[in-house]
Amino acid sequence: MNNAQLEIQLIASLVAIACAIPGTFLVLRKMAMISDAISHSILPGLVIGFFITQDLNSPLLILFAALTGVITVVLVERIQKTGLVKEDTAIGLVFPVLFSIGVILIAKNANDIHLDIDAVLLGELAFAPFDRIYLGQTDMGPKSLWVIGTILLITIGLLFAFFKELKLSTFDAGLSASLGFSPVLIHYGLMTVTSVTTVGAFDAVGAILVVALMIAPAASAYLLTTDLKKMLGLAVSFGVFSAISGYWLAHWLDASIAGSITTMLGLLFLVIYLFAPSKGLIAVIYREKQQRTEVSLLTFLLHLKNHTEENERHVNHLQEHINWQKVRAKTVLDLALKNNMILIDNDIVSLTQKGDEFTSKAIDYIITNEDAQIEDMKDDFFLFRG
Amino acid sequence: MKKIVFSLLLFTVLFNCKNTKEDNGKLNIVTTTTMITDLVSNVGGDKINIQGLMGSGVDPHLYKASEGDVSKLANADMIFYGGLHLEGKLVEVFEKMRHQNIKTIAVSDALDQSRLISSESFTGNYDPHIWFNVDYWIQITQYVAESLSEANPENKAFYEANAKTYLEKLLVLKENLQATIETLPQDKRILVTAHDAFNYFGKAFGFEVVGLQGLSTATEAGVQDVQKLAAFIIDKQVKAIFVESSVPKRTIEALQAAVISKKHDVAIGGTLYSDALGNAGTLEGTYIGMFEYNVNTIVDALK
Repeated sequence: MNNAQLEIQLIASLVAIACAIPGTFLVLRKMAMISDAISHSILPGLVIGFFITQDLNSPLLILFAALTGVITVVLVERIQKTGLVKEDTAIGLVFPVLFSIGVILIAKNANDIHLDIDAVLLGELAFAPFDRIYLGQTDMGPKSLWVIGTILLITIGLLFAFFKELKLSTFDAGLSASLGFSPVLIHYGLMTVTSVTTVGAFDAVGAILVVALMIAPAASAYLLTTDLKKMLGLAVSFGVFSAISGYWLAHWLDASIAGSITTMLGLLFLVIYLFAPSKGLIAVIYREKQQRTEVSLLTFLLHLKNHTEENERHVNHLQEHINWQKVRAKTVLDLALKNNMILIDNDIVSLTQKGDEFTSKAIDYIITNEDAQIEDMKDDFFLFRG
Repeated sequence: MKKIVFSLLLFTVLFNCKNTKEDNGKLNIVTTTTMITDLVSNVGGDKINIQGLMGSGVDPHLYKASEGDVSKLANADMIFYGGLHLEGKLVEVFEKMRHQNIKTIAVSDALDQSRLISSESFTGNYDPHIWFNVDYWIQITQYVAESLSEANPENKAFYEANAKTYLEKLLVLKENLQATIETLPQDKRILVTAHDAFNYFGKAFGFEVVGLQGLSTATEAGVQDVQKLAAFIIDKQVKAIFVESSVPKRTIEALQAAVISKKHDVAIGGTLYSDALGNAGTLEGTYIGMFEYNVNTIVDALK
């Protein structure tokens, strides 16, 4: 592996970390789409910054772009507060307008600089190691590494300084306000960080990858934990993992690096969506199936308790009466037998003492319908599982 | 949780434990388009390692870098490219790379600016399709030989001898092309193609050249352009129009449909190689073969 490859992975990883931190809060605040909006609407800011400074490397560009990012958020909120349209509609109204202003400004005044739409949306990670900073004759490393490194340091500094405030205003804005922290200030702070990160990263990796790196790792982490600190940690590691494995996917396929990283992010989310222990698709299907069996078991036990006559309690009759299919009837019967709820004597089913007590309790709970008792009931059911 | 983080990081570290770098003392040379690759390998012969970034059929205006290109560029001692915005954003990257120990050479620097065709809409922008003038290509061959000799003086005689042989071939090519084109009457020399790639060709061989799209294939042809060009074709009784290998067919097919809808006939004369050569190993995969193929196709279709 050569230096250029190492530097690309380093830049991609730093971008991934810098994106995962604000991304986590955006996902928790249900504002994921705002990052997409910001990534587009920074364009006019960049162009105006370029007109003023005439220098594509000026830090003023980042400042102007971040400013348009914040303007986007303000506009979205203003439109949303009218109550006439919802937030997603407001986002959809604001960012195409700002982006188009940027496109027109470029087309009219700056056709021969590299600030084209392609560069803004796709970037080119492959060329990042060749755009270097020199201090006199000394090679100080790629420019993007410095830009994104600085942004990352600031982001981490802000995260540690305002972690408590961020946490509180994310989960309970009202309480946060009553305790004297301004949720509005925190909100705009977060939006500024999001804008600055997007701008800092766009030249190196492109806006599409920035959006993917903000949302996908945070969304994946969200499926695995309910603890904010753990979610941040997971989002950061997922981001770095996708950045590096995506790079090697690109190496293997000899394909676009940004495209491969985004593909890895998508695959990672898919795997977690399917296999996450409690929120994953497979876990949910399994739980629903178990709940269905539990309800069937209860129905069956209630039926037995209601009928003392033998013909109602014959094994074959149960199938017709409760309208169960053979397999399901057998599952329920086996489950009840295994837990010593019933006895089968000459194909006649009867409740054991344990089954009788359990059923009485269940009826009691259903009638009184008290939440606390239902919670206890759930514990009882866990005994039968498996 | 910590375990997950740890194993993910471990995985990524392990993934990186591969090493690839070859160095056999030869100059590592990277070129952009297939034309330049062909020229430089003719001059450099087996004394250089040459790697082209763009394959056949790749449009240099719209080229996207892949991961493999990173190593090619990073290991390069010298890079030859077209310049004049032919390679889009890459040109800027190459200019930045001059700060490093990599020689980047725009082959268009060999030509005096006054001999270039400048773009109408933007001053200071020139038509980059310089390879369609054989005389220019001859100058560039000499320039490439000089640049290689400078970087690798031990093999100076070898490069110069190769360049001389190649120059003779180019002179023969020029005569052959001229002879083929002479068979086509002057008033039939009208070349209609997908984009403005053949201006140098037209100037050198007395063709009137019309492109549907502008200099860069990134621009789209408007409905008005198609209608205007269709009227032109009917007016001049052009027999055939041409597709380019690196540009999608649909624009030229739209033009054909526009002409036919006005109750006139125009054929698609074949596929011309404009911004990229044909597949490596075939006759059209070399500059000389490509040029002969293009001229034969044009002359046959317009006769």
